[in-house]
Amino acid sequence: MTLEQLALENHGYSYAFLDEFAKRELRRRILKAIALPGYQVPYASRELPIARGWGTGGLQVTLSLVGPEDVVKVIDQGADDSVNAANLRRFITRVSDAASTTDATQATIIQSRHRIPEERLHEGQVLVLQVPDPEPMRSVEHDISRAREMHADADYGLLWLALYEQLVRYRRVTQGASYPVMVHKRYVMSPSPIPRWDTPKLHQAAHLTLLAAGREKRLYAVPPYTDVYPLEFTDVPFKVEDQRGWVCIRTGAQNKFMNEIPNEDGTSTHEMSDTGYIEKLLNAQPGDTYYDNNGNFYIRGYIRS
Amino acid sequence: MYVAARGGEGAIQNAEALYNDLKAPIDADVVRAIERTMPYLIDRVMGEGSLYAPELAALALAQTGGDLYEAVLILRAYRSTQPRLAYAEPVTTKMLFTVRRISAAFKDIPGGQVLGPTLDYSHRIFQLDVLDGKAAATATFTPDTPDAPEPVQPVAPREYPLVADWHRMAGLMAPLEKHADQDPSDVPDVTREPLLFPAPRAERLQSLSRADTGGILALGYANMRGYGAVHPTINELRLGYAEVQVRHPISGDLISLGRVRVSQAEIVTHFANSATGVFGANKEKRQNHKEELALGFAATMGWNEIKVIAAAMLDKAMDLPAPHPAHTEEFVLYHTDPVEASGFCIHYKLPHYVTFASGMDAMRGANQIAGDEGKSVSEQPEAELVAEAQE
Repeated sequence: MTLEQLALENHGYSYAFLDEFAKRELRRRILKAIALPGYQVPYASRELPIARGWGTGGLQVTLSLVGPEDVVKVIDQGADDSVNAANLRRFITRVSDAASTTDATQATIIQSRHRIPEERLHEGQVLVLQVPDPEPMRSVEHDISRAREMHADADYGLLWLALYEQLVRYRRVTQGASYPVMVHKRYVMSPSPIPRWDTPKLHQAAHLTLLAAGREKRLYAVPPYTDVYPLEFTDVPFKVEDQRGWVCIRTGAQNKFMNEIPNEDGTSTHEMSDTGYIEKLLNAQPGDTYYDNNGNFYIRGYIRS
Repeated sequence: MYVAARGGEGAIQNAEALYNDLKAPIDADVVRAIERTMPYLIDRVMGEGSLYAPELAALALAQTGGDLYEAVLILRAYRSTQPRLAYAEPVTTKMLFTVRRISAAFKDIPGGQVLGPTLDYSHRIFQLDVLDGKAAATATFTPDTPDAPEPVQPVAPREYPLVADWHRMAGLMAPLEKHADQDPSDVPDVTREPLLFPAPRAERLQSLSRADTGGILALGYANMRGYGAVHPTINELRLGYAEVQVRHPISGDLISLGRVRVSQAEIVTHFANSATGVFGANKEKRQNHKEELALGFAATMGWNEIKVIAAAMLDKAMDLPAPHPAHTEEFVLYHTDPVEASGFCIHYKLPHYVTFASGMDAMRGANQIAGDEGKSVSEQPEAELVAEAQE
């Protein structure tokens, strides 16, 4: 009997890369996050073979959920073929043997950086949003311990004040992406740097949204059918990006979130940011979208402006 | 298996291939040469990667063409998947097989100053003979085999006393608190639990131990230059080998797993009670208590003197009742992790066109309102406004 015979075969890495202890921790924290909508749950956050700040939070959540039966869609800024999305998809499918798709309605898990698909997600789907900074109050309170206390007290006065200051200075709210939202009437949450166009899609959504920051070691959730409202003053309603009149050069579509592509003559061309939706418009019958072709949000009256 | 999108995938594979084509190929000999000729680089990678594996650290450096942050990330990503099999027995400073220990606080110290291996007093000039192919300055001392070829008399002591123990005997420093034997699995572990503030001391020292050398140096240097009320003296700096021992799970016998290179620094400050404000506004207590010396401490795997000196000073600075904003515990520990800091820095290379567009929309909207009212939106340059709107 030699030592070699006694030793177990070298298995390299675990299924879906993370070891079972890490997965168990993540799943427990995810359950806690679902139980406390919008509350930032601290977690250990393991290092992954992808650079920190490149979606390692979302990736840990995806890896803790994915199984060989899953169908995964990965997008970055709405695009499936963006280099970072391609890289994450390559990693997830390589370590989990899950299938991949560009069709938002076919995916069981959608990992996304900075976009929510245009087509309405349905029950049973999980949207995993990558989060650079989970703290909606970072700009008004950089001390994390203090911000945690303010969340505990639901003390969001400074955040309202910041919006008010924008209004006074620029005559409108100048917050771009990452527009802060109130979740389940309790916690103010950063929806990750999705454009304001995507923010309403979180409200009373049929799907589960998990948001995870790897570097900052926080994850949080919006369970299905949860109230999510942008912070807005009664007399100054929340506004999505004004892209009226922008026409997608590839599909002719309007009233979907567009990329603005500069031309040499100083003008711009527009193209839909959601490449999976472009593909469907060109090749198949797309499903229902959050905004109709006239730009009306599917829950009437939610967007007041 | 159906693969969704191919456009970006070919590009990233070609990019990686090109990266590898632009450097010489690596093999086992190259890795071994890196390990043997650059122990201090290996130590830095192992310390920041928080995994003592010289061969893997050398491989990581070879694979990444010497990109330090990439090498550390490979080590960390591998480490994070490794299970906890056992907890080593505690190692005390006295138990170290010490090869270098110096104190700046006294001319001589019990046990003696031991200069050991250092470049501190070398002339930093090139050994151009090496390039000419002439005989190199050969090393007779190989760090991996600390046994000197010819033992000298008297033989160096196996253990050296602690300088801090002398302070304690002299009544200049508070005695060490007695701690009951702690189950090692109860020690907080920064790699298994998220860091929250105020952090347990174990987590603070662990974080400093795996922190980025450059980051710790920058913050520590700011403190040394005057941004802080800590006026430190190096009480004791040690380089040595620590024997890693575990108990056999069945027989209970102590087994040695080998020695690892470690470094540690203790810095000392005067008037610790005033400086740390332990008595706060309690004047009576303050008056009745005598002033004491206090220690700042840091240790790391590998020999990395700059890091442990700067980290020990920051350890003390973080204890101040009102530290400089750059020396609060949260600021120091959050901003000196090499993997997190470097990762976030390079993430700005990723496309941000959705967030940029959202900010542009807000800015155009603000400009339009201002235009309607016949005045400029603000004195602020546009770039600044976009950045603000993007937040």
